[in-house]
Amino acid sequence: MMALFIRAITAALIAIFVIGCTSTPQQSLYEEIGGHQTLNTIYGVAITRIYTDPVIGHYFKGVPKKHLRDRLVTQTCELIGGPCEYDGKSMVESHTGLGIKEREFYILVEYVQGAMRDVGLTYQQENRILNKLAPIKYETIYL
Amino acid sequence: MKKIFLFSLLLISSHVFADSGSRLIASGGITGFEGTAGGGITPWAFIGGYTSKEEISYSANVQYLSLNDYTLKTAGLGISLFDRVELSFQRQRLDISSGLTSNVFALLTDGAITNANSATIEQDIIGAKVKIFGDGVFTQNDWLPQLAIGAQYKKNRDFDSSLSLPDGSVPLPGIGVPLLLGAKNDSGTDIYLSATKLWLGYPSGYNLLANLTARYTRANVFGLLGFGSEGDDSAKLEWEGSLAVLISPTTAIGTEFRTQTNRLGGLAEEDTVVDAFIAYFPNKSISITAAYVDLGNLPLQEGSSGFYLTVSGNF
Ligand code: HEM
Repeated sequence: MMALFIRAITAALIAIFVIGCTSTPQQSLYEEIGGHQTLNTIYGVAITRIYTDPVIGHYFKGVPKKHLRDRLVTQTCELIGGPCEYDGKSMVESHTGLGIKEREFYILVEYVQGAMRDVGLTYQQENRILNKLAPIKYETIYL
Repeated sequence: MKKIFLFSLLLISSHVFADSGSRLIASGGITGFEGTAGGGITPWAFIGGYTSKEEISYSANVQYLSLNDYTLKTAGLGISLFDRVELSFQRQRLDISSGLTSNVFALLTDGAITNANSATIEQDIIGAKVKIFGDGVFTQNDWLPQLAIGAQYKKNRDFDSSLSLPDGSVPLPGIGVPLLLGAKNDSGTDIYLSATKLWLGYPSGYNLLANLTARYTRANVFGLLGFGSEGDDSAKLEWEGSLAVLISPTTAIGTEFRTQTNRLGGLAEEDTVVDAFIAYFPNKSISITAAYVDLGNLPLQEGSSGFYLTVSGNF
């Protein structure tokens, strides 16, 4: 029973690493998840929830939904290997003066995560996208 | 005194956000058997719970490790402040079977005494951890880990609690198991530095966590067998590590190690501790971890390995 437990965990760890090292993705993450349409749905869902959130909703008063959604789609598209070029305002510029707290940042991240899940992305796809968005944290909070 | 301090912190903190916190699930690790957040047997640089810079959260845990003739039960409370500081109090209780204490007497008396009562060794641990650098989860664009330093003040409560025989007699008054095995002190402070990093999306889209901890300590078997010895009373550097993969949003599997210095020798020779675990985080309020832990030699039990179960709550 004990030996089995150890062996199962070791085997699972090795399997994850072996798969990780041998699979060479043929297509970009952008294509894999279904391109523009999927991203557009994800941010549509996330923005609806973000705009009505009791804690962070107020930041978005007067920010046109369509504008923000398009910007986010283009930005993420570029970050995950899609054929886009983000030419909106810099992250520091768009978030300066808002005074976003770390707690509020995490709330937004969870909405984006939740939207990715609801739209049907796999856990792995979700993590790979988060990997690209994560560093932007320090270009948005306490500015 | 320190307990009062913890308690007053609980009271003054009610005006900040105090729910389980907003950080990503599982990023607080679990509460280890010494009360510090991280893996089961080693601290991580991450602050326990899910607090952001603006939040406070509390934690409570119970733990059980079965090692044949030894059973370790621990329970404790913690508080996490602003994703910066973590304070904890843990009580450990090691039960030693009467079969084992009987063997101790049989050895000491050349077989004249062969029957003794079971024994208990309790230890209190007050822990403090401070994040000093980095964001091990969100700085995915570089390799820098998050760093934290910490201390665990440990007080063995049964350093000189005598073993007794079934007839109520006490052959060795004032000599507890740690003292009997050659330990010098009943308390000590471990100092550690932890470096922890989470890679989002690696390997193959899962999240990988790696931790390395360097600990400066004089503890014998974590302090359960006291601190230092007559022949060797110096603190030494020990290494500890965790490798974990989040295989789903709610499940992590992994493995850990922890080195120990063999100060007492003889019966109490110490080996490197290893474990393999699976941790389940159904939500941010609770985590349940099962592990198989191998401590190697414990006094009169050469192969000490067994099942570990712990439940931690955040609120
Ligand atoms: C990784 C996290 C984030 C990313 C990737 C991100 C991305 C963006 C992008 C692409 C824009 C559009 C800039 C433009 O108009 O050209 C924007 C604007 C904005 N963001 Fe963020 N953001 C993040 C976090 C946050 C958070 C946590 C908040 C608030 C809680 C926030 C509030 C806003 C607001 C209010 C605007 C509109 C600013 C304006 O038009 O004046 N953002 N963000």
